[in-house]
Amino acid sequence: MSTAIREGALLYPIIGGIHLLAIALFGGMVLASDVRMLGWGLRNESVTDLIEQFRGWKWFGGLVVAITGLLLAWCEPIKLYHSPSFWVKMILFALVGVHAVFFRRSVYRNTEAIDRAPGMPPVAKLAAALSLLLWVGIVLSGRLIAFDS
Amino acid sequence: MTIQRFLEWLAASPVANAMNGPEWAFPVVESLHFIGFAFLIGTIAIVDLRLLGLTLRRQPSRQLQADLAPWTLAGVAIMLTTGPMMFSADAVRYYVNPSFRIKMMCLATALVYNFTLHRMAARSEKPGVAGIIAACVSLLLWTSVLGAGRMIAFV
Repeated sequence: MSTAIREGALLYPIIGGIHLLAIALFGGMVLASDVRMLGWGLRNESVTDLIEQFRGWKWFGGLVVAITGLLLAWCEPIKLYHSPSFWVKMILFALVGVHAVFFRRSVYRNTEAIDRAPGMPPVAKLAAALSLLLWVGIVLSGRLIAFDS
Repeated sequence: MTIQRFLEWLAASPVANAMNGPEWAFPVVESLHFIGFAFLIGTIAIVDLRLLGLTLRRQPSRQLQADLAPWTLAGVAIMLTTGPMMFSADAVRYYVNPSFRIKMMCLATALVYNFTLHRMAARSEKPGVAGIIAACVSLLLWTSVLGAGRMIAFV
C-alpha cells in the first residue's frame, strides 16, 4: 500500500489534500470554541453550545486527520522516523489527548457551570489557550517535516 | 509595465528575498497560511453546516454569520498576506502554473460568492432550501480552492 500511494501520482496529494481540508473544515470549530472560552468573541453563543455542538464534528475531523496522517506516514516511514519535526508533532498530538482528559471535569464536561459563572473561569481560559498553542504547534511542526529532509 | 516585468520585479523584491532567504521562511509562512484555513474556511464552514441544519440549531444562521464575521475577515487578512508572500517567492513560475491559475479563479469566485449570495442566504429570515444550496455551493467552492492549491506543487 505504501508503494501504491507513493507511486500513484495523484493519490499522495489527494490524501494530503484531505488532511488539509480537515484543518480547514474543522479547524474553525476549534478556533470558535477556544475564542469563546478566552472571552475574545462569539458571546451570543453559550460555551455549552460551542463545546457540545462541535464535539462530534471535531471527533470526526480528528479521525480524518489521523487516518490521512497515518496513510501519509505509511508512505515514508523512514523519512519520518528521522525527522525531529515529526516526533514533535506526534508528542503535541498526544498532548492534545492529555489536554482533553486533564480538562474534562473542570471544563469540557462542565460547560453549564462555566456559562452560569459571573466571569470566564481561569481554568477555561487556560484550556482554550493551551488548545490553540498545541494546534498551532501541530500545524507548524507538520509543515516543517518536509523541511527536515 | 507588462505582467512579465511586474512578476520579475516581484520575484526580486525585498519580500521575495526574505521568503527565499532563511530556509525556514517559506515553511513558516505556509504554516500560517494553513492556520488561516481555520479562520477563513472554518468559520464559513460553521455557517454552512448551520444552513444545512447540522449544527448549532439554537442560533439562527443570521446570528452565527454575524458573530463569526470578524474571524472570517481576520482569515481573509491572513490569507491575502501569506498568499502573496508565498507567490512572490517564485512569482514568474507560479503565474504560469495551471493549478495556481485555477486556484485563483476559484478563490475569486469563492470570495465574491461568500460576500454576496452566501451572505444574503445566511442573513435571511428563513434560509430554507436556498440556504441548503448556498451552503453546498460554498463548501464546494472552498474545497476547490484548497484542492487546486494542493496541486500547485504537483503540476
